[in-house]
Amino acid sequence: MLEKTDKADGSGLAISLENVDKIYPTATGSLEVFRSISLQIRSGEFISLVGPSGCGKSTILKIIAGLEPFNSGVVKVGGEEPRAGRRDIGFMFQQSVLMPWRTVRENVALPFEIAHDKSEKSKQRVLDLIDLVGLKNNLKLLPSELSGGMQQRVAFARTLALDPSILLLDEPFAALDEFKREFLNVEVAKIHDDLKKTSILVTHSIPEAVLMSDRVIALGAHPGRVLGDIAIDLPRPRTPDLIGTTKFQNAVKQIRDALAVTEVGAAA
Amino acid sequence: MSATHVQNAVRPLEVPLYQRKTVRIGLPILILLITCLSWEGLSRSGVVNPITLPPISAIAFAFFELLGKRFFWEAVIVTLQETMLGFVIGASVGLVIGAMTGTFPMFRVALFPFIVAFQNTPRVALAPVFLTWFGFGMTSKVVMAAVICFFPVVINTVAGLAAVDQNGRLLYKTLGASTRQTFFKFTLPSAAPITFAGIKTALTLALLGAIVAEFVGGSEGLGVLVKEFNFQLRVDMAFAVILVLASIGLILYGLIEIAERKIIFWVKK
Repeated sequence: MLEKTDKADGSGLAISLENVDKIYPTATGSLEVFRSISLQIRSGEFISLVGPSGCGKSTILKIIAGLEPFNSGVVKVGGEEPRAGRRDIGFMFQQSVLMPWRTVRENVALPFEIAHDKSEKSKQRVLDLIDLVGLKNNLKLLPSELSGGMQQRVAFARTLALDPSILLLDEPFAALDEFKREFLNVEVAKIHDDLKKTSILVTHSIPEAVLMSDRVIALGAHPGRVLGDIAIDLPRPRTPDLIGTTKFQNAVKQIRDALAVTEVGAAA
Repeated sequence: MSATHVQNAVRPLEVPLYQRKTVRIGLPILILLITCLSWEGLSRSGVVNPITLPPISAIAFAFFELLGKRFFWEAVIVTLQETMLGFVIGASVGLVIGAMTGTFPMFRVALFPFIVAFQNTPRVALAPVFLTWFGFGMTSKVVMAAVICFFPVVINTVAGLAAVDQNGRLLYKTLGASTRQTFFKFTLPSAAPITFAGIKTALTLALLGAIVAEFVGGSEGLGVLVKEFNFQLRVDMAFAVILVLASIGLILYGLIEIAERKIIFWVKK
């Protein structure tokens, strides 16, 4: 079995952004991606960022992962400045980004290989993770021999490989059909309940955000900014049955309302 | 018309004629037979001069006669050496220059205009110059083959590197991979399929380069044999050598296809 992570720092705050601005230089001048964004995420918390295209939600993940610079403000990840290559952060993309020449097992083992970890323990962990995502009978298959859903499972196992305390999920199942997507979301929620990792999910789907999260941050676009911070008061474990409940629908409505404000505001 | 519709509905899995195995194998054989027979007929009947167009049967005899000749096998070895040496040198230099051009933007800015300009120059035009520079021996042929090989490899290596998935690059960054790890475990294999297509083209071109260089000036090799037999009006023999060249080309292509399937095994055709 996979053991729980216990890497929370003393303050209980895993990630914080204070008045962060991001401006892209463009050929004609500059593009303000977002202005004065502030977010606090506690250890073990699952939050979602929802909002229209152009609100900078993926950019926020990349800034936390140290993949993108930012113009001003303060970002702390586990008490440190963000930097790429921290092995306590797992990043998952919309595409599976599997290496087509590597088998399922070799893909999940990639993070260990890069970390020069050849221990028996890591080899066992690779197998455990593949088992966790339900692919133990597909160890030797190449990505081209897997369905889209299976590819994302492999990617998720790889994201968990180094037992990161923070998961950054950039629309991980957006390319899948509705059924697979819901199924995988519930599984990820289950794994989150077991492993208690600090997680940030970026998504276009409000119900998906509600189903997964402790808190949903509604973002507006042009420039990106926080419109609402909605706590989701639903019991865990999260199951699809919750979708029909009044609490669930109310949460969805609250987020919709928060997002709708912008449309009016922008028009005025 | 309605009858046709009913028939289609009853037999929806009917294979189109051209996809049938008998047709796919039979038709090319039929065309080969027709070509050979009319060729033989034209030549034997005297419609065309049998000296300029010897009958197919004479070419076949010439071919087997050639196989028994020592000078022929020596020529085969010379041309193969020129081709392979030129290929290895041209493709290796092409890979290195292509990898640098594709990796370092300064290199690309500095070199790419020249590569494109040379790419559109008929490079065989350089053969006489190489003859002057490197003499009648094998060197001028190897250089010609190498130069002609170089370009498709450079162009495809650059294209392969440009097509590398940017999210993959980010993934390796999040995993804390070193530049070296990212290059060997990600960039290089990602670029391999497109790069290999260039290498395949290069091998075919290497043979072409060696033969052209032999035509321009040389004392040994299959290109020289074609030219000499032609001068002696032994067109049957010239054709037999061309047949050998075609076979060499096919064998080389077959070998590189096998290598391709082994090296970039994950690309399904």
